[in-house]
Amino acid sequence: MDELKEKSTGRKFWLEFVKGIVVTNPVFVLVLGLCPTLAVTSSIDNALGMGAGVIFVLLGSNIIISLIRRITPVMVRIPVFIVVIATFVTILSLVFEAYIPPLYESLGIYLALIVVNCIILGRAEAFASKNPVIYSIADALGIGIGFTIALLIVSLFREILGTGSLSVFGRTLFSIPVLSETPMAFFITPPGAFLVLGLLLALFRWLGVLKNE
Amino acid sequence: MEKEKNSRSKTILEKILNNRAYPAIFLVIIVLVSVSLAMVIGNITRVKIIAGREAEIVNQLNVIFPDMQEYKIIDDYYVIYQDKEVAGYAFTATGKGYGGDINMLIGIDRDYHIQELAILSNTETPGLGTKITESYFTDQFKGLGSDDINLGKDGGKIDSITGATISSKAVTEAVKKEMELKIDKIKNNK
Repeated sequence: MDELKEKSTGRKFWLEFVKGIVVTNPVFVLVLGLCPTLAVTSSIDNALGMGAGVIFVLLGSNIIISLIRRITPVMVRIPVFIVVIATFVTILSLVFEAYIPPLYESLGIYLALIVVNCIILGRAEAFASKNPVIYSIADALGIGIGFTIALLIVSLFREILGTGSLSVFGRTLFSIPVLSETPMAFFITPPGAFLVLGLLLALFRWLGVLKNE
Repeated sequence: MEKEKNSRSKTILEKILNNRAYPAIFLVIIVLVSVSLAMVIGNITRVKIIAGREAEIVNQLNVIFPDMQEYKIIDDYYVIYQDKEVAGYAFTATGKGYGGDINMLIGIDRDYHIQELAILSNTETPGLGTKITESYFTDQFKGLGSDDINLGKDGGKIDSITGATISSKAVTEAVKKEMELKIDKIKNNK
């Protein structure tokens, strides 16, 4: 603990940031936010869109909640967090609907559901409300990018196995010959999502790389 | 007692924070600020969103009436022209679904029978209510006059989707009601 206090702000910032990506990856270690993970990973585009959206909301809510942490009464903190988070999600939803209609369509109801994504409320309560703004920013970026990477990994498996090809923003990157004619469509379905996520969780546990604290 | 004796040495900020009404007032302020911010963003994006919805309607009109050459907007419905003649009409409708509003576009032909039904947007349960967008449901409406538009159990020709009764009913009722309203209006405008 003392060692931490002696470190420079920059080093601390970097530590908080990296933490969110590997050590406390929200999906594979904290096992939070599984609902959107299962729902939007049927394609890489959706995964990237959701990831970007969550990073935006996390940044916004972490910053605001950290700024007002000393004047927020403890007894109303949860409603306050939820109102702040919901406002950012509303802004995100409006911006997507106006400027990226296809993404807005394919994320559908899961865009609004970002409000109840446990990751965001969890970070607000566990970190942003107790730490200075600069570290809350690092936490938001780290956790947000960690979430996006997790979404990308899952959607990589689901899209390649489930459609036989990989396309990003409308451009097909590659197509596997036999697989793209008769793809394993099972992986695009919800049970397929469960299977991929479960196997990935098991893989990371087995590798011992990510320990549950 | 101790607290009262020390109250004069507390700063104004501490006095505010410890006031019994403060949590409620704080929450109200947060809500007011948040709602105002959301409204501002809503106003900024409003024009683009409305333009996007209208573009989507025109896209759907081309799907419903593939031979459409031009369209005119009269009142609150569209008149579809082909070879300078009226080929049909179209109008939007909104139903109260299970999870919110269901927005749809209804195209009818010159005999006031349904050309095609297109679901524009919905927030129904994924996998169940969202099946109203699939052709096996919307194709049922093709060719029907407003009298036949009812669920089977109400004497009509529409089968509802298993596990999505409310969504199916919402679409069916909205189509019927809007058809009757608009057909009246179209006839009066002739």
